[in-house]
Amino acid sequence: MRMGANRRLANIKTRREIGLDYVVQSIDLNTPFGKKQLKESKPFFPGEEEALAAELDKVEAMMDFVRQSGKLTEQIQEIFMEVKDVSYSINRAASQSLSVVEIYEIKSLLLAMRRLRHITVREDTSLIPQEYVLEDTTDILDILDPRRDRINTFYIYDEFSERIHELRGNKRQYEISIRKEQKNRREEIKQQYGILLTPKFDISVSKNSADFEKIKAIEDLELADQDYMSATFQLKANEIVYEYMKKMDELNVELEEEEERIRRELSLAISQHAQVLNSNCDKMGALDVALGKAMFAVGHRCVRPEIVPEHIVEIEDGRNLQVEDILKEKGKEYCPVSISLADGVTCITGANMGGKTISLKLSGQVAILAQYGFFVPARKAKVGLSNYIQILIGDSQSVERGLSSFGSEMEELKIMLDNSVERTLLLIDEIASGTNPVEGLALSKSLVDYLLQRPYISLITTHFETVTEKDGVINMQVRGLADVNFTLLNREIQYAKPSERINIISKYMDYRLYRVEKQGQVPKDALNIAKMLGISSEIIEGAQKYIK
Amino acid sequence: MGLLYELQEKYKTVSIVGMAKNAGKTTALNYLIEEAMDDGVRLGITSTGRDGETQDLVTGTEKPQIYLEQDTIVTVPAQLYDLADAGLEILKKTKYSTPMGTLLICRVADSGYVQIAGPPAAMDTKKVCAEMLGYGCELILIDGAIDRKSIASPETSDAIILSTGAVLSRSMRKVVDETAHIVNLYSIPEMEAGEARTLIEENNCDDRIMLIDKEGEITKLNLTTGLGSSRFIDDEIDESTAYVYIPGAFTNSVIIDIDSKKLKQVTFILKNPTKIFLNAMDWARFRKKGLKVNVLKNIEIAAITVNPWSPAGYTFDREALSQAMKEAIPGMPVIDVRV
Repeated sequence: MRMGANRRLANIKTRREIGLDYVVQSIDLNTPFGKKQLKESKPFFPGEEEALAAELDKVEAMMDFVRQSGKLTEQIQEIFMEVKDVSYSINRAASQSLSVVEIYEIKSLLLAMRRLRHITVREDTSLIPQEYVLEDTTDILDILDPRRDRINTFYIYDEFSERIHELRGNKRQYEISIRKEQKNRREEIKQQYGILLTPKFDISVSKNSADFEKIKAIEDLELADQDYMSATFQLKANEIVYEYMKKMDELNVELEEEEERIRRELSLAISQHAQVLNSNCDKMGALDVALGKAMFAVGHRCVRPEIVPEHIVEIEDGRNLQVEDILKEKGKEYCPVSISLADGVTCITGANMGGKTISLKLSGQVAILAQYGFFVPARKAKVGLSNYIQILIGDSQSVERGLSSFGSEMEELKIMLDNSVERTLLLIDEIASGTNPVEGLALSKSLVDYLLQRPYISLITTHFETVTEKDGVINMQVRGLADVNFTLLNREIQYAKPSERINIISKYMDYRLYRVEKQGQVPKDALNIAKMLGISSEIIEGAQKYIK
Repeated sequence: MGLLYELQEKYKTVSIVGMAKNAGKTTALNYLIEEAMDDGVRLGITSTGRDGETQDLVTGTEKPQIYLEQDTIVTVPAQLYDLADAGLEILKKTKYSTPMGTLLICRVADSGYVQIAGPPAAMDTKKVCAEMLGYGCELILIDGAIDRKSIASPETSDAIILSTGAVLSRSMRKVVDETAHIVNLYSIPEMEAGEARTLIEENNCDDRIMLIDKEGEITKLNLTTGLGSSRFIDDEIDESTAYVYIPGAFTNSVIIDIDSKKLKQVTFILKNPTKIFLNAMDWARFRKKGLKVNVLKNIEIAAITVNPWSPAGYTFDREALSQAMKEAIPGMPVIDVRV
């Protein structure tokens, strides 16, 4: 197991399989900073219970805020949606002149910060923890918004320098002068020759036209364009116009220099405020994450996990969020499951389709969410922190890698056992189901013996009932179809479409777990279910014969 | 008051659409912008796709940048922002990306030349226009599609200005005839509101050919295009069929095999007139046979601009062209953009 900064609570596969990734992806974040922070968030390890409690306090405070100030939450999220990550521009402002578009984006960010700060410092929002309140950035905003109109637009405004104002004024003056001069000459030509030029100071004429020769002879006009049918003449620039044009060109160069100087100046001002800008961005990200976590917890009816010193996971009416969301879409309810785990081995046994694997993943989900500072999907939960959480479950990836299911299972088992330390949570799904039952059972039993002696919480789903017979192993059983009226179920199945059968069986299934104290008959529903799903009676009856 | 003032009274958005490449679309746009300055109309300028580049990318002909007066609202991609000669105040960074960077909505703070571009997708043009109108312009000119066959959705703008010119053909007669044909097609009557129209609008989501009889009964054909399917359509038309809805292109092969009695009996319904791909001669022939066509949405043509010059090196007599066009399309404003 890795320690230090790279210390890892659970590997990628475990985080995916037990549903941490699902929760992280479901959280509605609106700022690039929040997304980055959540992605990089680290779990709390044993010994960090106090820090975790403080994190959970924050989530709780934000949940109160979300419940009480729905409108403000919306306003904050609206601001967040406009925020873009401009940290690259902020950081390069020290050495480079930012482009106008970049400065515009930084001004937009400053305006967003201003509005957010306005909301968070108001009295009725004192529920927002102080750490999310942004620092005042009015001084840098004032520099980028010389007119103080606080509108989300940007331009190298005349107000930035006397000089740019003057240069632009001069340029406009020359433009007007040129136009005035041209207009005068157009008037002269009209008077002298009776020829009216267009407002663009040109004229197109057909070569067959009587005017053609006359126009051609006018000295002030030059041929701009011609073909065999017609010709376009335009007003020649005279000395005065040339003089103005030369001055305008010079002005343009000066203007460009002045604009560049202003951009440099603004960039430097931005760079001087880089620290406060960046720390405000971090705060916005933190607030975004806190709001996202809180809204997720409120929306999914999550509760604060009680963090306890001893290494246990106790869940009352827990719900696997991923499965619950799928069921909700289909308009169905999730049947909550309670389970209580401590160091030692607990087995989940019971009917096929009884939700054993889902309950296994649920235990991991509650434990890992708590350690990442989330509220958990249950009515009540107690969690003692783990150093290492790992799931062992078959997935399609091993097949893609070309390994047999047994081969990759053993490979993963080795990694899992090698990495396990004190306070480890191991979740094992159907160990050794991919090999012959004689060796598979032997291997399972021996693994249970090994785990019983270790300070780990081990949760194992299995079909081998003798695995649970060992002293010290706790057996949790899915109720399954034990209490079901089969006459009723069979009748419903009989008239259902084949594709509906699976849904009907799950409707009758009782997913709750019960602790089995004495070794008794494990319910055997496999043949029942196979029959209900339409496997021919020849095969089912044949199988029953073998059981006897 | 001039043309632009009138346009602004009637429409909010006007697309400039060329009959063919180099029909003088940009010239027309420049002309209209100048008119707008004279009429004191505050313009918005955008385009479907990039435009105003110095070189026409397809034919290599000169393509001037567009000179814009102060306070014009214009869309410019981020990478072209710094290249603009005009002073541009950034009003908004939109969410639309173009090959030249994110699209900005700007106000011209200092007059000058600008290369304009709009959102690449025609359907986004409408949303951008709505935002531009929000910034206070009175009329938006959209530098539209290269040729009229590629106008994806006529809903983009309230009306179009059709640019036509010598580039279409060396024969002036042909240029005039083709233009008149298009104007003719675009003024096909819209289907009247009523039960049959409602039925079509409610059921055309899957883009199938539909037949509707007098009782309001719908028959859908398992064909998405009518191309080459006139026999199947003929089979389905019986005495009570009133309308035939064709979602795709309307060509010769859609109607060639339809019995002439049946052809007279039914009315063909199209989405809009750009779906018609019949030349002037065939169109006239089928009309004589009694072909009736209605559209769900027609396209209003606000004016026609003519360009007597072709990049291939020939020119028409400008006055003769304008005159012939005016005679062929009575009542339509015809503007020679090269005067």
